[in-house]
Amino acid sequence: MAKKPLDRGTREGINMSTIKKTQIVNVGATFFIASLLAACTSTTVDEFRQGETGIETDESVVILGRRQASDYETDSGFVECVGDRMQRGENAISVVPEQEFIDSMFPWFEPRTAPLRTRDLEQLMAEDVVANKMNDYGIRYIVWVDGFTETSGRTGSISCTVGPAGGGCFGFGTWEDDANFNARVWDVDSLKNVGTINADATGQSYLPALVIPIPLLARVEANACSRLAIQLKDFVNGS
Amino acid sequence: MNQPNMTIQALLYRFGTALLLLLVSACGASNVVIEGNFPTPNVNKMPMSVAVIYEDALREFAYMEYSETGREEINIESGQSHIRLFDAVLPAMFDRVVNVDTMEDAVEQKVDAVFAPVIEEFQLALPAKTKLDVYEVWIKYNMRLVTTEGDYIADWVLTSYGKTPTATFRSVQDGINGATVVALRDLASSFSLSFSQVPEVSEWLRNL
Repeated sequence: MAKKPLDRGTREGINMSTIKKTQIVNVGATFFIASLLAACTSTTVDEFRQGETGIETDESVVILGRRQASDYETDSGFVECVGDRMQRGENAISVVPEQEFIDSMFPWFEPRTAPLRTRDLEQLMAEDVVANKMNDYGIRYIVWVDGFTETSGRTGSISCTVGPAGGGCFGFGTWEDDANFNARVWDVDSLKNVGTINADATGQSYLPALVIPIPLLARVEANACSRLAIQLKDFVNGS
Repeated sequence: MNQPNMTIQALLYRFGTALLLLLVSACGASNVVIEGNFPTPNVNKMPMSVAVIYEDALREFAYMEYSETGREEINIESGQSHIRLFDAVLPAMFDRVVNVDTMEDAVEQKVDAVFAPVIEEFQLALPAKTKLDVYEVWIKYNMRLVTTEGDYIADWVLTSYGKTPTATFRSVQDGINGATVVALRDLASSFSLSFSQVPEVSEWLRNL
């Protein structure tokens, strides 16, 4: 039986499917390279324990960002990220949302009035209104997160043009991101600093542009958040 | 044939006028009305009754930020947010608080003292000018406490500061609003915690 010649529509269909496959392979390869490059982040976590820890099921933790420095303030998004992750998975811990706690405690945890040392917390707990609120929330530990993400070493250049026939970009850019955060854990029962955890994540981000810029970002802040949350959860649980 | 031509002319004229107005308005100052909610302070109430007078200068307070060339750039209206703040803070600090318009009204209300806050200075620092990654706001207040007879009890200066970081997709208006709300919270915290420590107020409270 002779093969029926392909009509134009079928040929176009083959061409289209070949093009689609090629595009899928290209996109897949781009994402593979992107994931390889984006994974180029190294994270170091240090823990310094100064006291015994442990938490009951009816107790909770509040994570607060330090905002006293003049040139930076701890990102509330990072604080929220750490809190969310501590509430998930095995040995999850109840975490009071930062803004809810600060509003409820107003005006004692504002940037200018928040306790800087455990001695200040001791004085603060002498106020009945503060002690009662802490008790209502069942706060066992206050975690002070302090730090920021810095971008340095920007190199390369990208130029973009737009014309009647279309537009595009060409070039290459790269920079280094460094997220450095430390968390001090205060025990509200003993009014002592029971430990400090430091998370430092560094990574190189790339932005190649061949018609379209493709950002390959080092997820340093996400990695620092994840590792700090895991370490904090273990620390507070006393494991 | 004349009628359609006239209509087209009229349309073109209207379009031109609208475009001109749009261009002119784009060159004018942008307006920011400060919006925010303020929590009630957790402080011990003082056993005294206070009448509050919000003068028009406070009610309608607005600050104009000028560009480096002297052009009006941003108009910040914060009068009403100051009133919302004091309305949240004062009832938590004193046993009884009444809002009055004049000293005569305060006398009728038989209060212990009359409180009248005034904004003396407002300063704004924008990232585009300071090259820092934060919006900053400073506000200087003159707090006045007098008796219903108009005698001076205390007159002191309070300063407040607020900053908010720049962020992707955050507009200038949002940045200014954020920094001003932080400054207003700072005012509320320092006012509510330091009120009884002002030497003249402290002495007056002892004799009350």
